[in-house]
Amino acid sequence: MDELLEQFVIETRELVDQAYEGLLGLEQEPDSQAFFDDTFRAFHTLKGGAGIVGFGAMETLMHRAESVLAEARTASTPLSRTEIADCFVCLDQVEAWLDAIETTGALPPEGGPAALESRFERAAESSREAAAESPSNHWLEALVAAHPDAAGRARTAIRYRPDSDCFFAGSDPLADIGAVPGLLALVVEPVTAWPELDELDPYVCNIVLSGLSAAAEREVQAALGEALAQCDLIALDSERSSGPSVSLGATAKRLLDAQAELLRDPADRRPGVIASAGLAAANILRALGRQADAERLSEAATQCLGEGNPDRLRKAIESAATTLDREPGAHKTSSSRREASIQTLRIDAARIDHLLRVAGELVVAKNALGHVVRLAENDAPALAPLLKQRHATLERLVDELQDSVAGARMLPLRSTFRRFPKLIRELSADLMKPTRLVIEGEDTEADRTIAEIIVEPLLHALRNAMVHGIEEASERAAAGKPARATILLTAARQGDHVVLEVRDDGAGVDVEAVREAALDRGLLTAQDADELSDDDVIDLIFTPGFSTASKVTDLSGRGVGMDAVRSAVRRLGGQISVRSVAGQGMTVRFALPFSVMTTRVMTVEAGGQSFGIPLDGVVETLRLPADQARPIGAARAVVVRDRTLPLVDLAGLLGEPPSALTADSMTVVVVTAAGEHSALRIDRVGEPLDIVLKPLEGMLAATPGLAGAAVLGDGGVLLVLDLEDLLT
Amino acid sequence: MSVRVTEQGLIELSGPCGADDAEVLQRCLLTAQGSTVEWSECEQIHAAVLQVLLAAKPAVTGSPKNAFLRAHVAPLLEKGSSGVADR
Repeated sequence: MDELLEQFVIETRELVDQAYEGLLGLEQEPDSQAFFDDTFRAFHTLKGGAGIVGFGAMETLMHRAESVLAEARTASTPLSRTEIADCFVCLDQVEAWLDAIETTGALPPEGGPAALESRFERAAESSREAAAESPSNHWLEALVAAHPDAAGRARTAIRYRPDSDCFFAGSDPLADIGAVPGLLALVVEPVTAWPELDELDPYVCNIVLSGLSAAAEREVQAALGEALAQCDLIALDSERSSGPSVSLGATAKRLLDAQAELLRDPADRRPGVIASAGLAAANILRALGRQADAERLSEAATQCLGEGNPDRLRKAIESAATTLDREPGAHKTSSSRREASIQTLRIDAARIDHLLRVAGELVVAKNALGHVVRLAENDAPALAPLLKQRHATLERLVDELQDSVAGARMLPLRSTFRRFPKLIRELSADLMKPTRLVIEGEDTEADRTIAEIIVEPLLHALRNAMVHGIEEASERAAAGKPARATILLTAARQGDHVVLEVRDDGAGVDVEAVREAALDRGLLTAQDADELSDDDVIDLIFTPGFSTASKVTDLSGRGVGMDAVRSAVRRLGGQISVRSVAGQGMTVRFALPFSVMTTRVMTVEAGGQSFGIPLDGVVETLRLPADQARPIGAARAVVVRDRTLPLVDLAGLLGEPPSALTADSMTVVVVTAAGEHSALRIDRVGEPLDIVLKPLEGMLAATPGLAGAAVLGDGGVLLVLDLEDLLT
Repeated sequence: MSVRVTEQGLIELSGPCGADDAEVLQRCLLTAQGSTVEWSECEQIHAAVLQVLLAAKPAVTGSPKNAFLRAHVAPLLEKGSSGVADR
């Protein structure tokens, strides 16, 4: 791929991110001029870039998007949800194009996305139609006229017009409407009159759904999720219709009242109801910034589940709701706006890696100096205090440098999470299990390597939750759980680690099924099966090849590869664990190191043990006839490519019994350290590996010859050699 | 099978009826014109299935256990309703 195109790809990706951010901002704050300008600028620049590289199809598509934005600007109307959704689709198309360019190295052949352009045409038409009629609300009048009782109690009216090809994207508009809480009335009309049955194409969506709900507009919005893009919502509450922003406290109070209402019947002790009411109430309080209250509510919920009595929880929720009344709006706004544009600099990743390496070596040099400073206390006491002082300053600066450079590799996890909502939506439709994905903590930063590699394991965990964790609709209804399941994905920094959790409100791990399956597969003896605690049994799902799925679906295959997930996490230097509460759900927890650097090593065996040799110190590996080893004084040497190299037995060097010279040939690795070449004799060469090198700590830190250690995918530990230390 | 024709010639919808079932239902209704659809055991229907039912307007018997279907979808399928539900 030529340089111009490479540059185009890099810049376009950044612009797509900017446009994305802007559109997301507009979804939350449709009147925001700042978000609108960001979005417009991004699309405009995308168009320009496409023109420069001669990418006609993209230029046209970006032009369309830009026009839509421009019209909204001249008309001084905010973008409609449909328009925003269409812009998102354009961005998805651009990303797909970029992926194709990276694979093929060239622009895609001509033949643009006609479907996408026609979308914009249709949007333009319908907005012209809407302008021609009186403000679109005559559907509302008809709805209210047909359902006078419902209308009296309704707080929100909904008009949902799905795209005609939405089924192919995995949507089910009926399920979307079914997820609306407090539905009082539903009307379904055809867009064009129904044809004769034999001429009907059931897979073209031809319906418009209108409804009335007793729930407040915000709740309906939340329940509709991504379907919101094709919906118009009208709040019917006359008290509230004036101001654009409903006081957060008032909404929260209504929601809390609703949860308390769920728990009113003391005879209804279904754990699903108690758990979901407790979870919802705790989340409401958290959103208001009242952590302590939220924690107390969660505990009350747990206690209630133990007792099987919802009363305590109901009282706790009611008291929380009344204190909301008294507070004069002291609430945090949940959406955090990005302040003025951040100054950025684009740097080649290799430069940062180099900086990091040098910073790491500085740390080593600083430590070595510290050793000398200690020696000076005995050998040069006059100088010692001054040396100590200077060393302390050096130490502080080097550590600061190290931290700062490591920080340069950080990425917010938002980019990692970006495609997950779409995945969940598709799985929801495929499996007929309505589910929504809630993401928290996407501003949390992690090393870019972690952010990239953790995508696959997270995908596995999410699929696992959908396929195995979340129950069929009928089971959920029987357990008193909300029809729409929830998966919560959170990310947070905890000290030295980044902790990610995938938590579902499904049925949890079926411990008995796992126990039996393990027995069946011979992974456990009958005695073990009885003695193992539930938690240990749950841990068995990480065993390779394990699966209890009665239905092998395309989505997850046999088992879910939880063993592969664990390997990947371990290789990153992290840990994975599973918590499960039967009937309530499962949480998969990833604890990953905050910063990470990977090193390539070659594994070798010597003296019966495996070691890693940093690959940049390896020149070549050879097999030589054993008699090539020539004695030189007390040592031995070999001649390789006309050079005489000292021959060192690695096992012997590390204090193991030297490899016996029994065979006719020997395996040798030619390495370079401090500018000198040596030939290391080993038993066997292994494969190259990418590892996360961790320095040894505590007592082991002083061990000569070792650069550090790494945890392997199978949980074993590989010691990595410091050649310079060993050979000089 | 979520769509099944019984011996008595009823078209039975049971369990969750996904998008794929729409085509099956359509064929059943075309092959046996005037058949009645029985949906007491039905738990969920995809919008595509609903479209077939709205277009064909067959006689429907039985009351599904699922609250949403019973309260909101059943009225749409009643004979004599023109797609506007009465409650």
